[in-house]
Amino acid sequence: MLKIKEILQEFNTEYIEDYKTTWVKAKIKDATDIAVVAQRLKKNGLRTIATISPTDFIDENKIEMNYFFEDLITKRNCWLKCDIPRELEQCKIESLTPFFKGANWHEREAFSMFGVKFINHPDLRPIIVSQDFYDKTPFRKDFDWDAHEADTLKNIQTIVDAFKDEEDENDKGIGEDSSETVLNWGPTHPASGPIRLKVHCDGEDVIGIDPDIGFVWRALEHLVTKKDFIGAIVAVERLCFMDNINSMVGYVQAVEEIADVEITEFAKWMRVLLGEVSRISSHAMGMGGFYNALGLHTVAMWNMDIREFFLDFLESYSGARIATAAIEPGGVRYGLQENMLKELQLGLDKFDNTKEDIKAIFINNPTMKMRASKQGIISPDMVEDYSLCGVVARSSGVKVDVRIDEPYAAYDQVKMDYVVQKDGSAKDRLVNLFEELEQSIDIIKQAKKHIEVGIASGKFNPTKDHMVKVPKKLPKGEAISRVEWSRGEVLMHLVTQEKATSPYRLKMKAPSFNHTMMLDKLLAGQTLSDIPLIFGSLYICQGDLDR
Amino acid sequence: MLKIYDFFAHAKSESLWMAHFCTGCCSLEMAAAMGPRYDWERYGYLPTPTPRQADLLIITGLVTKKMLPALLRTYAQMPEPKYVLALGACSFDGGPYNDSLAVIKNPTEILPADIFVAGCPPRPEAIIAGLEEIKKKMKKGIPSAASQGGLWKEMEF
Repeated sequence: MLKIKEILQEFNTEYIEDYKTTWVKAKIKDATDIAVVAQRLKKNGLRTIATISPTDFIDENKIEMNYFFEDLITKRNCWLKCDIPRELEQCKIESLTPFFKGANWHEREAFSMFGVKFINHPDLRPIIVSQDFYDKTPFRKDFDWDAHEADTLKNIQTIVDAFKDEEDENDKGIGEDSSETVLNWGPTHPASGPIRLKVHCDGEDVIGIDPDIGFVWRALEHLVTKKDFIGAIVAVERLCFMDNINSMVGYVQAVEEIADVEITEFAKWMRVLLGEVSRISSHAMGMGGFYNALGLHTVAMWNMDIREFFLDFLESYSGARIATAAIEPGGVRYGLQENMLKELQLGLDKFDNTKEDIKAIFINNPTMKMRASKQGIISPDMVEDYSLCGVVARSSGVKVDVRIDEPYAAYDQVKMDYVVQKDGSAKDRLVNLFEELEQSIDIIKQAKKHIEVGIASGKFNPTKDHMVKVPKKLPKGEAISRVEWSRGEVLMHLVTQEKATSPYRLKMKAPSFNHTMMLDKLLAGQTLSDIPLIFGSLYICQGDLDR
Repeated sequence: MLKIYDFFAHAKSESLWMAHFCTGCCSLEMAAAMGPRYDWERYGYLPTPTPRQADLLIITGLVTKKMLPALLRTYAQMPEPKYVLALGACSFDGGPYNDSLAVIKNPTEILPADIFVAGCPPRPEAIIAGLEEIKKKMKKGIPSAASQGGLWKEMEF
């Protein structure tokens, strides 16, 4: 930490301060310094850039850039800010992509949403947004989207035209001297969700992959600014339905930090319990997704069977199987009744009864090992360069887990360790998923026991302790909150204005964005039949890819 | 007396194949309906990877502007008779994404649906109940809503 501060002191800064346990927060006065500062930080070990989040301060006529640097090994992080002019012509800043490969798509996203131009960026094309938003700035506060909405049919025509133009281009390469062509993998391939991979291939060999994303772009980050702080959780949980609890935890932690509210011990344990249930339902689908891509549907069926028991628990707790909206600023939405824990026990028993079979048949499966143990290998260096996280990072042997690195909720009292593999191949990612399932079951058992003991001893009142009051109006402030989501680290950056009733800006950094960036690196030089395998092993969800 | 066309309609409705097409998050509950607990194959439903063998298109929740041309292309490739089932609040009026600027508020005005299944997301039982309604419609030989009208007929995609 001291080293980071020393480096930052060499530059012209407005302030340098400690933030939370692992962060240094600083603002540099001169935006032209950013590339030099970033390079110095990189030399000091902060090799990963989590995300880049611009905030549009229309009243002050500036755009504030937020850079989040992370060191995955020593767990020191740096939050760097700088201001750039708001006028479209001068809205420029030096690109970090030449030094931080993981910044590539994040800079493209900032360019598409806010019109920030990144000097020296190798490939500054719009991303996520559909063609009708090209050359526009949808996330700026003065964007008139009523006017944009008025000619929806015309906008759809723009998209259709662009698609047809692309079709013509695709055939250009085919001729007597070349068989190079572009294949569309998607928008809805049975092994994937709504994503389109433009596969440049020569015969069966893949030359490169250009993912076309944004098929489920709902502009969630814009949507939350139109709702109040409680209403926003509806948008936040739709980040991805497979694991919605943990994304809500991330958001409400940021709200609580700005409101300066401390939640009860019981609510903290409930967040652990619900979060792990949600993680199980997501990992179960993830394992199924991997095997579906290989062409075997039995795993998905077995896991779905286990998953239903955990959804039953969520249903009896919140009334909904999936869209629970169960985490609220100030705690968890509902109290806990005794019969709910009994239902959870059914799920735990179901898993314990099935896990040996799953392990013997599908995890130690020789056919799967032959197929997947040499495919899609991600080295620890790649993890740091491309800011990968979660299962993908851990299966390469990199010890990252926000639950341990920067404990939130009651994770500081939970006994757990990093689940890691060695090689980082597709097979390792599957094995890691399964071992994390086992770990989650273990954490649920700990949390359940703790809650039961607490209730029995009278320490927790399960019907009253779940919630503390959070004011409806929040003061001016900003906060970041990190959680270990089922796919990896989710970083929420929340900005509020004075006496705010709704978020001013919420940036959600979601892991699938970086993992999809890897597809081109992993698949170039492979064959077409490897696409579903590697895609399935990366555990990508389009919900958090597009947001 | 059972007419031969009635028999055809009955046979068609009892092996209802749907195009494997996910537009949004309701597809997660659709997956649960395929799963072991609800097991919709009992009723003769099967997702097929190609629209050319499909009888039914399911709009699984939200449809973004970028997704709409792909949805219409898929529908156009399906052989007659073809029906549309719309899942979730999003396909009716945008649902929770009603304020969003990328989502089409009323996809069923463009591609009319025969049956709506309410919920966000609808439960697997509700999805199966909706599919049963489609079956009834097919058995009676009622033409699908999308063949009767909708903006999609005037659109280029």
